Amino acid sequence: MEIVQDYSFKLLKYWRTSLLVRVLSLIAAFALTALLIVLPARSQPVVLSFLMNAPEVPTLRPLIAEFERNNPNIRLNMIEAPNATNLVEDLNTSSFLLGSSPYDLVNMDVVWLAKFAAAGWLRPLDDQVSQAELATFLPGDIEASRYQGKLYRLPWRTDVGMLYYRTDLLQQAGLQPPETFANLLQAAKTVQQANDAVQWGYVWQGRQYEGTAAMFTEVLQGYGGFWVNPETNEVGLDRPEAINALNFLLSTIQQGISPAGVSTYQEEEARRLFQSGNTVFMRNWPYAWELLNQAESPVRGNVSIKPMVHAPNQTSAGCLGGWGWGIASTTQHPEEAWKAIQFFTSAYVQKQTSLTGGYLPSLRSLYNDPDLLKKYEYFPLVLEVLQTPALRPQIAQYAQASDILQRYLSAAISGRTSSEEALQAAARETRSLLGA
Amino acid sequence: MTTTVPESQPRSAHQHGVRRIVLPVAVVLTVLFCLAPILWQLLTSFKTDAAIAEIPNVYFPRPDQLTLDQYQKLFERRPFFNYIFNSFLVSLASTVLALGIGAPAAYALARLKLQGERIMLAAVLIVTLFPPILLFLGLLDIVRYFNLGNNYLSLIIPYTAINLPLTILVMRSFFQQLPKDLEDAARVDGYSTPRMLLDIVLPMTIPALATTGILTFISAWNEFIFALTFITREDLKTVPVAGAQLGGASPFEIPFGPIAAATVLGTIPLVLLVLFFQRRIVQGLTSGAVKG
Amino acid sequence: MVDYVRAQERRTGWFLTIPALLVLALVFAYPILRAFWQSFFTINLGNQLTPAFNGLGNYIRMAQDGRFWNTLWNTTIFTVATVSLELVLGMGIALVLNQSFKGRGIVRTIAILPWALPTALIALAWTWIFNDQYGVVNDLLLRLGLISTGINWLGDPTLAMISVIIADVWKTTPFISILLLAGLQSIPGDLYEAQAIDGASPWQSFRQVTLPLLLPQIVIALLFRLAQAFGIFDLISVMTGGGPGGGTETVSLYIYSTVMRYLDFGYGAALVVVTFLLLVLVVAIATFFLNRSRKRASGAV
Repeated sequence: MEIVQDYSFKLLKYWRTSLLVRVLSLIAAFALTALLIVLPARSQPVVLSFLMNAPEVPTLRPLIAEFERNNPNIRLNMIEAPNATNLVEDLNTSSFLLGSSPYDLVNMDVVWLAKFAAAGWLRPLDDQVSQAELATFLPGDIEASRYQGKLYRLPWRTDVGMLYYRTDLLQQAGLQPPETFANLLQAAKTVQQANDAVQWGYVWQGRQYEGTAAMFTEVLQGYGGFWVNPETNEVGLDRPEAINALNFLLSTIQQGISPAGVSTYQEEEARRLFQSGNTVFMRNWPYAWELLNQAESPVRGNVSIKPMVHAPNQTSAGCLGGWGWGIASTTQHPEEAWKAIQFFTSAYVQKQTSLTGGYLPSLRSLYNDPDLLKKYEYFPLVLEVLQTPALRPQIAQYAQASDILQRYLSAAISGRTSSEEALQAAARETRSLLGA
Repeated sequence: MTTTVPESQPRSAHQHGVRRIVLPVAVVLTVLFCLAPILWQLLTSFKTDAAIAEIPNVYFPRPDQLTLDQYQKLFERRPFFNYIFNSFLVSLASTVLALGIGAPAAYALARLKLQGERIMLAAVLIVTLFPPILLFLGLLDIVRYFNLGNNYLSLIIPYTAINLPLTILVMRSFFQQLPKDLEDAARVDGYSTPRMLLDIVLPMTIPALATTGILTFISAWNEFIFALTFITREDLKTVPVAGAQLGGASPFEIPFGPIAAATVLGTIPLVLLVLFFQRRIVQGLTSGAVKG
Repeated sequence: MVDYVRAQERRTGWFLTIPALLVLALVFAYPILRAFWQSFFTINLGNQLTPAFNGLGNYIRMAQDGRFWNTLWNTTIFTVATVSLELVLGMGIALVLNQSFKGRGIVRTIAILPWALPTALIALAWTWIFNDQYGVVNDLLLRLGLISTGINWLGDPTLAMISVIIADVWKTTPFISILLLAGLQSIPGDLYEAQAIDGASPWQSFRQVTLPLLLPQIVIALLFRLAQAFGIFDLISVMTGGGPGGGTETVSLYIYSTVMRYLDFGYGAALVVVTFLLLVLVVAIATFFLNRSRKRASGAV
């Protein structure tokens, strides 16, 4: 007891005499206050937070203000995320992983869905949306929004891979747009030989990144093959169809139809080359349309689109992309969140963001909307491509599986391994990934 | 390599001549090497967008190519003062904690005969070599278990810990150099060990604490991987992570100007520390690494 | 009385060390031990993150994982290249800083600046320096007429690796020169005098006096840098994110992706364990040489 007294006395004396002790206590007090201030304060209206990719923030601001005017008890707290979508995904992932996610809503790319759902971060939406409502969306987008039979997001924009071709060049050569892979190779070669100004037949994406996995999904399905069957976890990458698919891509390089540089191409490299006017075919997403047809473009007015080519007895496949809204399972305000989702996926918002940002809506009716058709005359063509969507495997470990495939595709495309070796290795690693 | 020989040493006229040419060149090269990247970033942060994107690069901008816009844009886009405040708070708190926990342990290891002292010392030494990537997975578990995500403590605790080994090593080597007479005299005067520590030892330790504290502060300010993993709320982020995410590796329109401004602002506190405490930093680093 | 003092001293000793030991155990020992334990389980999205015992399954998978070997290779290249370059350059700078000249204090201050600055922000600066369109490296090379079009430094796997190595050398050379400078200052000047009287050239006295006496510092610097370079994360993560095409992906980045992107905790733990063991091996080898060099150094004086 005496010692304690003695100690407190000593401390008191110290406080008086030592500058250091006083400064330290000041710092400690300061730190404590700061901690208290920062502790989240609960405010009156319900606040829904979500991350939004930086480029879209300005276009959404007025729409959000409109929503808040109509729903005075809800405030939408849009947080500017980085531009790159993989960084947005990582930011969402670590937020959820920490357990106390600050976000109530998630604006999701189609390939994140299985991971987020499997980790239990999303609330199933089946009870909240009627079949009739779902029927107004494009069926592919809804299918891509399910994981193991449950609906986890409502789409608000779609995206699909397709074949761009030069109408003028094909016409000069007296050719029809190709239907099969063999048609495409033949047509490309014919035009290349007939026309000296045409250096390349076909450009596509071959860099080691997600876009190449998406592109390969189309070719693979066009040959009747599959990547991973989500129901059985069966891996189809070392089957003959897959090897044929990769061989088709390699043959475009070997036959001089595609530049060897496609092994480093993403969408923009392919688009620039095609837009410069010396290429017959291109695989790309719808965003390229507007750029190809802008005033100073050399190929303006001479471009059309069609579904991707396929093997003789198979059908076309366009890899499905697109974004949609999900509700975090940790949110305190699921009802308000659902209201916000209904707003973001409404025809009104989809039309506005399509008009300002050029995104493809996920509501079927908007493809007949006169304002949109006036601005985007290619919408009917895209709708046709959207009839045969190809989904990347809806498995929880998609990101990992995709990274495996990307590595081996890149190795084969850049000529470091043969297509058989590459796909066998990819299949083996994918199996060992999913084997557990 | 001709400049090895210390000043005091007699040498031939020929060597003098070589030295007179080589040394200034070597000094200038050293300064250029260390400063050029920083200066380039500094210059970029004061240029207009047009001057930043001018090809060939502008090394000596005209007055009309200079602006403070980049800083203004940075503050418009992001709560940058928040980030600096967070970094300060976390670094300061972990520095105080590391000193408060590490210095007593260092004293015990230097002065008091403990069982297993050698093992403890060896453990501390080995632990200094652990890269944080080996720890973040287990720490993530702890953070999730105690629900510390998006809380300053999720950074303060690991930062304290990763700075403890250095603190212990530097402080221990300091205590070993401290003459023992005073402590013995205090004993004879009947001071108990805790009182002796508080009254006699602590005041003498302040310079060494300052040295260690500067190193600790720098390392906490610069830490990246824990800050990236355990903080996802915008208003709680620290400068390095916020800066890196500002860059965002975006395919279009990378905001080079604001990034440069962020780099400059985020490094200023450390530049000041180095300018004022160069000697102490060198001293601390060498006694931590070499004598340990 | 003596016994009483001793006992009290011991009690105080434990009282003083236990907080530190607890914090160290929590932040260092627990994560490593935990990783060992977790590495025998499958904990990933395939099984809803519920641990399932898997024996050595994760390690077997690692042996066949081409990406793991690729990252290990990248890490080795990065470590060897940066540490050796930093050692040579750091030695040069330390020798310069050990001379007496006007303004030496300022130059010494400048020379430790890179070490003190946040790596993540410095990585941003280097990304800008290596930018393919507006980067200052390309600009200088163009002005010197060495290239005719800008090089896409961060867009090619090999060039990107060279870029991150350069950035790391810049960032951490000062650390080495500080350590070596301290060593240089402890070498007595009369050793050089004796050499000079024997008519030795500067290079000879560097070889015969400086280098042997500096060996302990060199090995310590080596030890620290090996461990740090082996665990490199922030610099590469910000500059290239491991790309392009995995060309700069090191083991650390792979571990981070495995855990934070794939949520593959069991496999991530196995990667942590293997990295830890590799690091221990490297450190053990370096320590062995450290002890030998210390003996040799003490023998030489």
